[in-house]
Amino acid sequence: MTRVLLVDDEALARERLRALLEAQGGCDLVGECGAGDEAVRLARELQPDVVLLDVRMPGMGGLEAARHMALLPEPPAVIFVTAYDQYAVEAFDAEAIDYLLKPVRATRLASALERAARLSSSRLDRITAATPRPQPRTHLGARVGDTVRLIPIQDVYYCSADQKYTAVHHRGGTDLIDDPLRALEDEFRTSFVRVHRSALVNLHHLSAVERTDDGQFDVVLRETGERLRVSRRMAGELRERLRL
Amino acid sequence: MSSLDEKRLRLPDFCAGPAVVAIILIVVLTAVVIALARQDDVTALWTELARTALFLLWTGLGSAAALCLLRRRLQSLPIPQAAAMAIGAIVAVVACVSQVTLWLGSSALMEPLAGQLFFPTHPLRFLLTNIAMGAIIGALALRYFHVIGEWQRNVELQAQARVHALQARIRPHFLYNSMNTIASLTRSNPAQAEEAVQDLADLFRASLTERSAGTTLRDEVEIAQTYERIERLRLGERLRVDWDIDTVPSGLPVPSLLLQPLLENAIYHGIEPRRDGGLIRIVGRLNRGMVELTVRNPLPEDGLSGHSGNRMAMANIRERLDLMYPGSATLESGETEGEYLVRLRFPTGGATGIAT
Repeated sequence: MTRVLLVDDEALARERLRALLEAQGGCDLVGECGAGDEAVRLARELQPDVVLLDVRMPGMGGLEAARHMALLPEPPAVIFVTAYDQYAVEAFDAEAIDYLLKPVRATRLASALERAARLSSSRLDRITAATPRPQPRTHLGARVGDTVRLIPIQDVYYCSADQKYTAVHHRGGTDLIDDPLRALEDEFRTSFVRVHRSALVNLHHLSAVERTDDGQFDVVLRETGERLRVSRRMAGELRERLRL
Repeated sequence: MSSLDEKRLRLPDFCAGPAVVAIILIVVLTAVVIALARQDDVTALWTELARTALFLLWTGLGSAAALCLLRRRLQSLPIPQAAAMAIGAIVAVVACVSQVTLWLGSSALMEPLAGQLFFPTHPLRFLLTNIAMGAIIGALALRYFHVIGEWQRNVELQAQARVHALQARIRPHFLYNSMNTIASLTRSNPAQAEEAVQDLADLFRASLTERSAGTTLRDEVEIAQTYERIERLRLGERLRVDWDIDTVPSGLPVPSLLLQPLLENAIYHGIEPRRDGGLIRIVGRLNRGMVELTVRNPLPEDGLSGHSGNRMAMANIRERLDLMYPGSATLESGETEGEYLVRLRFPTGGATGIAT
């Protein structure tokens, strides 16, 4: 029996896939939900073999959810389901990733379930990059033990580069993630700013920029009062971003 | 907030061939008229025509050069100022050419022609008459060029509006999602599936039919509500729409597909990205002879309006409103108090332009 997790924000779309899966045989529907972050949690708890994942959902979309699932020690195979996403479909084709178009045909579902394979995060990254104006993720995913911790972007104070890993300092503590600082800076260009070579700060958590006794600048984080040094090179850009 | 383009004086490019040819034609015809009015003797007529045409050609080409140089300034000014500036330029050219003519006539160079009355004898009268005639004929010519320009622009806009109307039609996303909904309902609720198919047919009929005129607000509200019913099947409780348009006369003529694209945008950008959905408010008001329609939707959870992708639908509605109510309709959009708002304003007095 293939253990299947069904993810779509529309009740009727889920209802139809559920009916198709039941008719299919050989499948065990272990869970369903209507949001990306919940899907990641269920994938971790229920350990499905296959996730049927809608691409466009409120909050965390299917592409992002798949990227987080890929961090699990035993990631499920993912089959994307979409009504019409020209760019996503082109990217899937380019990466030879199987997907289903709504309304889904029973025969297509059967063959997709047979072929379903795990997706590496690098392939998923390439797909995300291929969509126009790629949306930044809503969460950062950190491997913690054999599960994935989802850290909402708005809870992140700052990220710092640390030898091999990147440390995320957030409301719930500090976690290590795989994403290089450079990539994070690109992805979250609109909400984060680099203050020195190894620190990327969330603008929403900045409370002040203060001049220190030695003529340099520090940024102060609102909730923790923590101070981070601003390098001379980044000071100009920081002032511009904050319109100082 | 953005609004409709202001009206501008529409003049051709006087730096290019076609407009210069038109000016030469106007000038020569004017010369013929003047010569005919002044002389009845056949031989004198030709002399008169020759010297008038020579004089007028200089003023005509001079004016074209002046308007060519002033082109950018003229296009940045409202019509009355631009027209005054253009006529002023023509009058200045006429005055200059007249002065040069007078100077030539009194110079020693023209000694051999003395006594033939080739040059004007009353300098001041010559100058003033020329300025008056230059102002009148210049104004008429400008008016002619402006009317032609407006007409050409209207033809272009209409063609554009048609193309854009084709492109702005219902998103493919919506079609496939609806098909999926119907496929699901056929099993669980065939009666509702049947209704959905009927609604979908109505919607596509409205959007695919090339309607000339006669669309009223009532038709538009009906189409938008049909659209709302289909989307409600898919989105369920997440979609709430509050209609408050009863105070606006429902027989009011409006361009077709005016409301549905706005509702579609509101759902796509304001409801779908929100986990708990939200409330769309559609309000119609009458205000000092103007109808005001507003569509408001909540912003997505991430706070970004995401409305950058829908400029085409808005530009399309704006163009068609402007064709129907030239110069008096407006479309504004923007974020206010956590909501995205689109506001249409047009006169209740009926259309003066072309319905699309």
